[in-house]
Amino acid sequence: MTGSSGSARGFSLGASRLPAALAVACWTVLGLSAAELSILPTTVRLHSPHARQQLLAQVASDGVQRDRTGDAVWISDNPEVASVDAGGVVRPVSDGLAVIRAKADGLEAALELSVTGSGDKFSWGFRRHVIPVLTKKGCNSGACHGALAGKNGLKLTLRGYDPAADYDSLTREATARRVSLADPASSLFLLKPTMTIPHGGGKRIAVDSLEYQVLSEWIASGASGLREDDPTVVGLEVSPREATLEPGSSQRLVVQAKYSDGSLADISRWARYSSTDAGVAEVSDEGVVTMVGRGEAAITVAYETSVLYARLTVPYENEISEEDFSRLTVRNYIDELVLDKLRKLRIAPSAPADDSAFLRRAYLDAIGVLPNAGEVEDFLADTSPDKRRDLVDSLLDRPEYADYWAYKWSDLLLVSTNSDHLNRTALWDFYNWVRDGVARNKSWDRFVQDIFASSGSSRENGALNYFVLHKDTIELAENTTQAFMGLTLTCARCHNHPLEKWTQVQYYRFANLFARIGIKTGDEPGDSVIFTKAFGDVPHPRTGRPLPPTPLEGRELALDSLDDRKLHLARWLTSEDNPYFARNIVSRIWAGFFARGLVEPPDDLRATNPASNEELFDALAKDFVDSGYNVKHLIRRIMNSGTYQLSSTPNAANQRDDRYYSKYQVKRLPAEVILDAMSSITGRESGFDGYPEGIRAIQLPDVQVESQFLESFGRPPRLVCDFEERSDDPSVSQALHVINGETLNGKLRADGNNIASMLKLGLSDRRILDHLFLSAFSRFPTESEQETMLGELREARAGQGSGRSRQLARREAVEDLTWALLTTREFLFNH
Amino acid sequence: MFRLDADKTVEFCDGLRRRDFLHAGSLSLLGLGMPEFLQMRAEGAVRDTGKDINVIMLMLVGGPSHLDTFDMKPEAPIEIRGPHSPIKTNVPGIEISEIFPRMARHADKYALLRGCYHNAAAVHAMGHQLFQTGRLSLGGMEHPHIGSVLGYLKGANGDLPSHVLLPKIIGPTGGNFKPGQGAGYLGKRHDPFVLNADPSVADFEVPDMLPPDYLPALRVDRRRDWRAMLDRTVSKFETSQDARLLDSTFHQAYTLMTSETAREAFDLQGESEETRDRYGRNRFGQSCLLARRLVEAGVRFVTVNMFETVFDEITWDIHGSPPFSPISGYRDLVGPMFDNAFTSLIEDLTDRRMLDSTMIFALGEFGRTPVINPAGGRDHWPQAWSIVGAGGGIQGGQVIGSTDKIGGAPKDRPVHPSEIVATIYHQLGIGLETELPAANGRPLPIVDRGVEPVHELFA
Repeated sequence: MTGSSGSARGFSLGASRLPAALAVACWTVLGLSAAELSILPTTVRLHSPHARQQLLAQVASDGVQRDRTGDAVWISDNPEVASVDAGGVVRPVSDGLAVIRAKADGLEAALELSVTGSGDKFSWGFRRHVIPVLTKKGCNSGACHGALAGKNGLKLTLRGYDPAADYDSLTREATARRVSLADPASSLFLLKPTMTIPHGGGKRIAVDSLEYQVLSEWIASGASGLREDDPTVVGLEVSPREATLEPGSSQRLVVQAKYSDGSLADISRWARYSSTDAGVAEVSDEGVVTMVGRGEAAITVAYETSVLYARLTVPYENEISEEDFSRLTVRNYIDELVLDKLRKLRIAPSAPADDSAFLRRAYLDAIGVLPNAGEVEDFLADTSPDKRRDLVDSLLDRPEYADYWAYKWSDLLLVSTNSDHLNRTALWDFYNWVRDGVARNKSWDRFVQDIFASSGSSRENGALNYFVLHKDTIELAENTTQAFMGLTLTCARCHNHPLEKWTQVQYYRFANLFARIGIKTGDEPGDSVIFTKAFGDVPHPRTGRPLPPTPLEGRELALDSLDDRKLHLARWLTSEDNPYFARNIVSRIWAGFFARGLVEPPDDLRATNPASNEELFDALAKDFVDSGYNVKHLIRRIMNSGTYQLSSTPNAANQRDDRYYSKYQVKRLPAEVILDAMSSITGRESGFDGYPEGIRAIQLPDVQVESQFLESFGRPPRLVCDFEERSDDPSVSQALHVINGETLNGKLRADGNNIASMLKLGLSDRRILDHLFLSAFSRFPTESEQETMLGELREARAGQGSGRSRQLARREAVEDLTWALLTTREFLFNH
Repeated sequence: MFRLDADKTVEFCDGLRRRDFLHAGSLSLLGLGMPEFLQMRAEGAVRDTGKDINVIMLMLVGGPSHLDTFDMKPEAPIEIRGPHSPIKTNVPGIEISEIFPRMARHADKYALLRGCYHNAAAVHAMGHQLFQTGRLSLGGMEHPHIGSVLGYLKGANGDLPSHVLLPKIIGPTGGNFKPGQGAGYLGKRHDPFVLNADPSVADFEVPDMLPPDYLPALRVDRRRDWRAMLDRTVSKFETSQDARLLDSTFHQAYTLMTSETAREAFDLQGESEETRDRYGRNRFGQSCLLARRLVEAGVRFVTVNMFETVFDEITWDIHGSPPFSPISGYRDLVGPMFDNAFTSLIEDLTDRRMLDSTMIFALGEFGRTPVINPAGGRDHWPQAWSIVGAGGGIQGGQVIGSTDKIGGAPKDRPVHPSEIVATIYHQLGIGLETELPAANGRPLPIVDRGVEPVHELFA
C-alpha cells in the first residue's frame, strides 16, 4: 500500500491531541511480505450531531489490498464519544476524542477521531446539502430541470452552478406550492420526486431515504437560503487514493469534502463516480468499485465543482522474471518510471530495437525524413558505442529538424490562409517567425511570450498574426487555453464545466483578460497593428457585468487597473504557477515520439483525464521547466531513453499493452512525410502550385495547397486547434489513389527518376533490391526476401527475348517492386 | 484516432447516466475483437424493420425559392408571388410551380413539407449541416453525415461502400463552414466514398477506381502479389489496430476494382440513351441516374449535390446579380434540370418496385425572401421554405405544414431540419437514443434529445 495511507502506520495511541490514525501491524508470514490492516480515511472529524463517517478496513499483503470493511469487527473504545456500527459507520455521541478499532483476518488497527458540536442545533443547508442531493439524483441534469429551458416549468441551473438562482426558482417563483412552509409535506418539491403525484422524471427519491429526510427537514426548518458564511468546498480526499486489488474484488471508495471553514465531511453518498476504463473497473452509484478485468483504471470522483480520481489496479497474470524487466535499459528517469509501472502491472518490455529500426524511427520522429541508403549503411557499419546518442545530436542540428517541427507548430497555431484571416504576406510572416524560433531552439516560454507579451506591427513581429487569426475575444480566449494549456473551456462559456472544475465565473474572469487587445490595419496589405485599448470588457452573460480579469488559477487584476491585461496574462501563462503550460507542450512533444500520448488525446489535460503514467508526466514536465523550457533538451531526453529505443515487436506479456510504453507502438506516418519519402526514394519531387521547385511537402507554410494525396492522407485543415484535426485513419480512397492514382504512379514511371538511374548505371538486381530496401525500410532484405524477390525479378524478365523488350520488362519490374515496397505497412508506418 | 464505446457510465450535461467511450485499443484488453464489438453494438442500436431502406438525398445547393417552387402564393402581390404561376398536379388541391411540369404528374408519390425553418445564421452551410447531420458543427465538434452514421452502425452491404457522395463535396459557399458531408468525429474511414468526377461527361469513369491505361492488369496483379509477399514477412503490425485497418482498406480498394457489381453500378453505359436523356444530360441528371444504380447495387445512402458552389453558375441562389443567379434561371435551366432528374428517379423506382425501399429527400438549405429585391432576385430566408420527400414508406399526395400569406413564416406544423434527420434514422430502424463517440469521448445521441420524426409523413 502506498500514498495517503502511509501516515496511518505506527503507534501513537492517544499521545497526540490531533486526531491521528493508527494502525496495528500484525506481522504474520504470508508469502513474502507481512499482512497489514489499516483504517481509512486517516483523518476523521465529526462536526455536528448529524455527521457520519464511513470507515474502511483495508488489509494489505503481498502488495495487494483487500477491502475487509464488511467483514471486520468494529469497536469503539469510547462509546460515550462516538459509536460505530457493524458496517464501519461512525456517529457522534458527545464531544471528545474516540478510538475506533477494526479487527479482521487476525489483524487489528485503530483510528483516533474527534467529535465537536455534537450538541449543536443542526439544520440542513441549501447549498451544502440540498443542492448535492438534487445533483446526485439527476434533478438538475441537462436532461431534466437543468436543461437551458428547464422541464415542465421548473428550471434549475445545470448541476447547481448557481445556487441563488435555484433557491429563487424553488421558493419564490410562480406558486408557493413547490415549497410550502405551512404544510411541508404538501410541497411539490417532495411530492414529485417521490412520485406521490405524477412526475415526468419518475421516482427519484424514496420516502424513507436520507435524501428525503434532507429535503423535508430543510423545508420544515424554514427552507433557509444562502448565507454569506456558507462554507464552500475547497477540496476532496478519496480513500483509497491508489490500490492494487485482486481480480473480481470489490472496493468501496470513501470521499471526504474539505470546507472553507476547515470542517470535513463524508460526502461519499452524494459524490458522482465514473470509471475511465470499464473493461478494468466498474463503479456503482454508491462508489463501490468492482474490478472486472486486468489493468489499471482511474475512478473519477466529482462533487460540486471539484474532481479527483482514485487509481485502482489489477496486475496482469504474466509471470515475469527480473531478466525480462532488464531488457529495458535504464538510461534516464523515463526508463525508471516506465519500469515502475510495468512492474506494478506485470507487463514485460519488448527487446531493444536493432540499429536499423532505431535509425529509421529516429529520422522519422525527429526530422520527418527517411535516412538515405548511404546513411543507413554508414550507421549500421559504425561500431562506436555512442552512435545512437551522436545520431540524435546530429539530427537535431539538421535544417530538416526546423522544417519538421515548424510544420508541427504551424498545425498547433493554425498557420494557414484557410480561414481567410491571413493573406499570403501575413501567412509567410507568421510561418517564418515559427520556423525561425524552431531553428534557433527558442525556449518555449519565449516563443509564447513573442505572441502575448508584445504589440506593434505584425510585419515586424510575425507572431502577432495570432491575433489577426483570432479576432473574436471569446474565440481568442478559448483557442489560447487549448493551444497553450491543453484545456477546453468551451463548456464553461454557458455553464459550469460538467466534466471539469472550471466555473462560468472563472471563464468570464479569464475571457476578460483578452478584452482590450486592439487591432488595426497597418500600412500595407498583410500588416496589422496590435495595440492595447484603454477600454473594453467581456461581461458575464447572466449579470451583464464584467468580472475582474483573472488567469484561471492566477492573481486577479482590478477592473479599473491600468496594468496591461495581455501582459498580465503573458506573465502568468508562461510562469511556473501555471502547471498546464509546460505539461501541454510536453504532452504534445511526447506524442510526436509515441503513438499514444501521456494523456489521450494529447491536448486534453483536464483533471478527469488521467495520464497513463502520472509520475512520468510529472517528471517530464519538471525536467522541461528545469531545462528552461528547452524543446531540444526534452527531445534528447526522450530519444536517448531505453524506452524510446525498445523494439515494436511485442512479446506474450505486452501484446495488449497500448499505453504503458512497454514497446514502441507502431503509427502511420503523417501525410506530408509519406509524400516526401515517396519523392525522395523515386527521385521525383511533387511540385506544388505557387511554390518553388523542389519544395518538400513538409516545408509548405500553408495547408491551402492543392494536393489530392495530402488531402486524402489526412492533412489537417488548420481551422480549429484540435490535435485530432490531423487524421491517420486509412481510407479506401487512399488505397485507390496509391494503386491507381497519378501521385505514386507518376513518380514511378517518370523519365530520369531514380529507377532509370539505377538501370542506366547497370546495377544488378541484387544491388537494386538492396538499395530499395535500404531506402524504404532502412534495412537490407532478409535472405528469404532476397531469394523470393530476386526470383520474381528474374521471372519478370523471362521469355522477353533481348534488347528493348527485355529492358522494358526489367524497368517495369523494378517499378512494380518499388510500388510494392512503398505501399507496405513497413513503409507507411513508423515502427 | 478511432474510438468505440463501451459501458462506462458518466454524466454529461445533456443526459443522465450515459455510456462513455473508450479507445478501441483498450477493447482488446477485454479480448473483444472489433467486428464482434461492432456487431454487438449494432444489434443493440439497430432495430430490425424486416427490410432495408436505402436513402437518396438530393441537395438542392443554393436554396430554392419556396415561392417559385412548392409553396406558391398566387394571391399575393406581384413583388411577392414573383414571375411564376402554379399548375395543378395529379392530386386535387396540390399545386406546384409551372417550372415542374413532369413532377406535377406524380404528386401522388411524394409529400411536400411546407413549414421548414431554422434559426441559425442565413448562410448556406448552416442548412447543409442541419439537414445532413441534424446539428450545427460548432466549437470544433464536427458532426457526422447520416450516411456515415449508417456505415458506422451497419457496415457495407456487399462490395460497394455504404455511403457514396456524387459528384463532389460541396465547396465554399461563403463563410468558412463545413458542408456537413463528412464523417466528422466518427473518423475518416467513415467518410463517404466521393465520386469526384462529372458523370455526364463522355468518358466518365470513377477516378482511380481503375488502373491507368499504362498499367496492364498483369502488372496490377503483380504489384498486389508482391506487396502481399513483402507485407507478410513482418509480423509486428498484426497487433496494431491501425495497421490492420490499412490492410483492410487495400482489400476494399481491390474489391471495388475487381467487383463486377461495383464496376457495373458505376458504368452509365449500361443505361439506354433514352433513359440517359430522360434524366437530363447534365451533371445532376446523370448523378441521379447513377444514384439509382448505386442503390440497386446495395449502397445504403447516396448524397447528390446539385451544384458544387453558388458562384458563377446558374443555381437556386437567385440573388439576381452576379456572381449569383437571376430568377429567370429557374425557368430556363434549374427548374427543368430538377424536374427531369427527380421525376425520372421517381418513375424508375416505381417501375422497379423499389420506391418502398428507397427514401428520397430533395431539399435546399433555406428558402428565399418573400419580397423580391431591387436586383430582381430573392435573398436568403431560413424562416420558411419547402422540401420534398418520397418513398421508403412516405405517404405521397400530401402536404404537411403551411406558411402565412406571403410565405414568410410557418403557420402550422413547422419542421426543423433535425426532424428530417430523425425521420430518416427512425424509418431505417435506428433508435434515436443511439449514441456516437463525439470529441473528447463525449457520447452524443444521433439527434438531439427531444427531436422527433415527422410521423405525419407515414400516416
